Amino acid sequence: MVATLVRLKLRILRHTLRREVWRLVLMIIGILWALSMLPSVIGGMLWLSEQGEGAARDILVVAGTLVVGGWTLIPILVPGMDDSLDIERFATSGTSARRLAPGLLVAGLVSVPAVFTGLVAFAPVLAWHRQDWQTLALAVVCAPLAVVTCLLHSRVCTALAARMLSSRRSRETSAVLGLLAAVLAVPAVLALGSLGLEGALEKVPTIAQVLGWTPLGLPWAAPSAMAVGDRTGALARLALCVVWVLALVVAWIALLQRALVRPPSRSGQARRRADAMLPRTATRRHPGVVAAAAVARRGLRYWTADPRYMGSLLGSVVAPVLIVMLVAAVVDTPAAVALGLGGFMAGTIGWGRHNDVAYDGTAFWLHVAAHVPGWADRLGRTLATFVWAAPVVLLVSLVGAALAGRWELAPAAVGLGFGVLCGGLAVSAVASALLPYPVPEAGANPYAAEMGAVGATMVAQLVSSMATLVVCAPVGALYALSLWVQDSLAGVTLVVGLVGGVLTLAAGVVLGGRVYDGRAPRLLARLA
Amino acid sequence: MAALEARGSHPRPGLRAPVRATRGTYCVRVTAAAGPERAVVLRGLVKRFGATLAVAGIDLDIPAGSFYGVVGPNGAGKTTTLSMATGLLVPDAGTVHVHGVDVWREPAQAAPLLGVLPDGLRLFDRLTGPELISYAGLLRGMDSHVVAARRDDLLGALDLTGAGATLVADYSAGMTKKVALACALVHAPRVLVLDEPFEAVDPVSATAIRTILQQFAANGGTVVMSSHVMALVERVCDHVAVIGAGRILAAGPLDEVRAGQDLEERFVDLLGGATETPELSWLRPSSG
Repeated sequence: MVATLVRLKLRILRHTLRREVWRLVLMIIGILWALSMLPSVIGGMLWLSEQGEGAARDILVVAGTLVVGGWTLIPILVPGMDDSLDIERFATSGTSARRLAPGLLVAGLVSVPAVFTGLVAFAPVLAWHRQDWQTLALAVVCAPLAVVTCLLHSRVCTALAARMLSSRRSRETSAVLGLLAAVLAVPAVLALGSLGLEGALEKVPTIAQVLGWTPLGLPWAAPSAMAVGDRTGALARLALCVVWVLALVVAWIALLQRALVRPPSRSGQARRRADAMLPRTATRRHPGVVAAAAVARRGLRYWTADPRYMGSLLGSVVAPVLIVMLVAAVVDTPAAVALGLGGFMAGTIGWGRHNDVAYDGTAFWLHVAAHVPGWADRLGRTLATFVWAAPVVLLVSLVGAALAGRWELAPAAVGLGFGVLCGGLAVSAVASALLPYPVPEAGANPYAAEMGAVGATMVAQLVSSMATLVVCAPVGALYALSLWVQDSLAGVTLVVGLVGGVLTLAAGVVLGGRVYDGRAPRLLARLA
Repeated sequence: MAALEARGSHPRPGLRAPVRATRGTYCVRVTAAAGPERAVVLRGLVKRFGATLAVAGIDLDIPAGSFYGVVGPNGAGKTTTLSMATGLLVPDAGTVHVHGVDVWREPAQAAPLLGVLPDGLRLFDRLTGPELISYAGLLRGMDSHVVAARRDDLLGALDLTGAGATLVADYSAGMTKKVALACALVHAPRVLVLDEPFEAVDPVSATAIRTILQQFAANGGTVVMSSHVMALVERVCDHVAVIGAGRILAAGPLDEVRAGQDLEERFVDLLGGATETPELSWLRPSSG
């Protein structure tokens, strides 16, 4: 079974590479990058081997934790990374998840990041090569454990997230849990920020000590403990690591089995009202306005009912917070970073809709058949995001100003947030009509990698992000000026953000509408 | 069936008049220059997908008030032709007129005339059935009280009221087909273009759908439907076109196309006769 699945994976890879030159180019770039990184990794490890055991342990554990943490979080925050074989395809083969799991795991190793991680996982062996044979042996044993932990973390987390997003009750639970975690994380970041870079670095040994006992750090900490002579601690960590991997395997098989038996595509739920699409008040309006309002209401439903939207929501709201926290922890001026949180999040939300039509899939035919005016389609889609994103961005900008303790700059932060949100949505209004690229179908695993269009994906993402940067440059420049040069410009930033934002958005809707009108059926053909 | 035969022989006068008063649409009504005789006119339609010529020049006149069946083997180009006729797929060449309106030159004027049920395309399945019907109506800019009334009528007529607040994602294949049909009907079009409307639909619902469509045609509307099932086409359609390899092999009133034969026999004849099916000798319960 293992050999069969690995062959299957290799064959799929070969076919996709043959069909898509761009994927091959990306893969070669990835391999070259990985190869270019290896000498510095090896050099670093050799350097570490000459440092004291304490320094080596701290660095290895912190770096290793980051690697495992990346494998855990990135697939959830950046949908489309999970290129594993889709378990649901095996549903009709009558094979149990237990028999499939080993093959799926090994097949999961067939990817550039996995191979690179595999090589890096053995790096500590180099760092410990001057130590006694027990440390070395432990390092060799722990390396594959670390790789397997990485792979299992990514698989279990995406499977769990897909499950959570697929039903309303679990969505609500996870939203509450996420909010709680975010609230709890704020004081920690504040404490870190108040220490500053130097202070934070002093704490590294303590942090490494703690991380070394977490599942993320166990495989890296075990040989380190052996190196400093703590044999019991080393073996205890090794045992814990093995237990954790086994627990992950059990959890993963259970998730796979559930996916085999009950695919997540069905929502299995009824709404409270049979029809929430019709407006409650029946006022006579322009037909285009009626259509735009309907599109907006439908979009809002999808934000709360479609796992793919929830996934991208997670990415566009949580990822900025995490990145800002990480950056704020290491830079000298955490205040500036905290202030920019609103603008950053506005950018990820607004730019995040640059492929909005593709999420409709072929259901978009209804818009084409009804001949919805382009501006109405664009306006509806924009509103569906704007109505919740504007308050969120406002709140986050104010929280950022409060965290930074720079209330006088709050108008600038709000202006930046609002301006960037409008700019991003304006670019998205044009880009989603112009450059659609494939996304997972409704009801499919929202984290699955979409095969078949790396070139189109790269072009669309590159063009839309560049355009967003250009469109948001004026308000961004004013924000930077009020932050670093003249804080009385904060008011100007607010006005420019609000007025310029609204104008840009209107222009985006009109221009995107023109593009849409010219090519709606062609757009549908691209989605089929 | 009496009504059907009557329709075939007597062209009804005053084909179109009522029903249109409440339509909220953003287009000017265009009086058909070609007269009320032909509801849909296809001329020289061509569509190429890469190396395959899916539709190789189709000319077809569909009379107003007819119940027109489009039949053909798998991959003959039925869906491609109907998609081009309804403004969903850009043709490589050729024109489509619906009641004199050029579908590809004046899409805003053509869209209100057409009710479309595509095959193999998804629906916005995170909406409930009633919501999807409302959504289809609102997209066309209809007044919400008209939408609400028609939605309830359609739900009742298609026996979907019981599904109530269930999301379309949880519908069976037949229910999905029915709700999609409701979406095609909600704006009271003049021409219905339905791709495989009876596929996966149970016999009771099929009867209900057939009655709705026959009444629609009896009131002067035009129904164009594709199907694989010859018996069904023979029963409900008064005109038929046989498509093979992207071309029209025969088209016209049902009896002319049949030419005294069973439609199925005629169909097989037109496609070049039945080929010898090789026997699958191993496909016997006893052979293990």
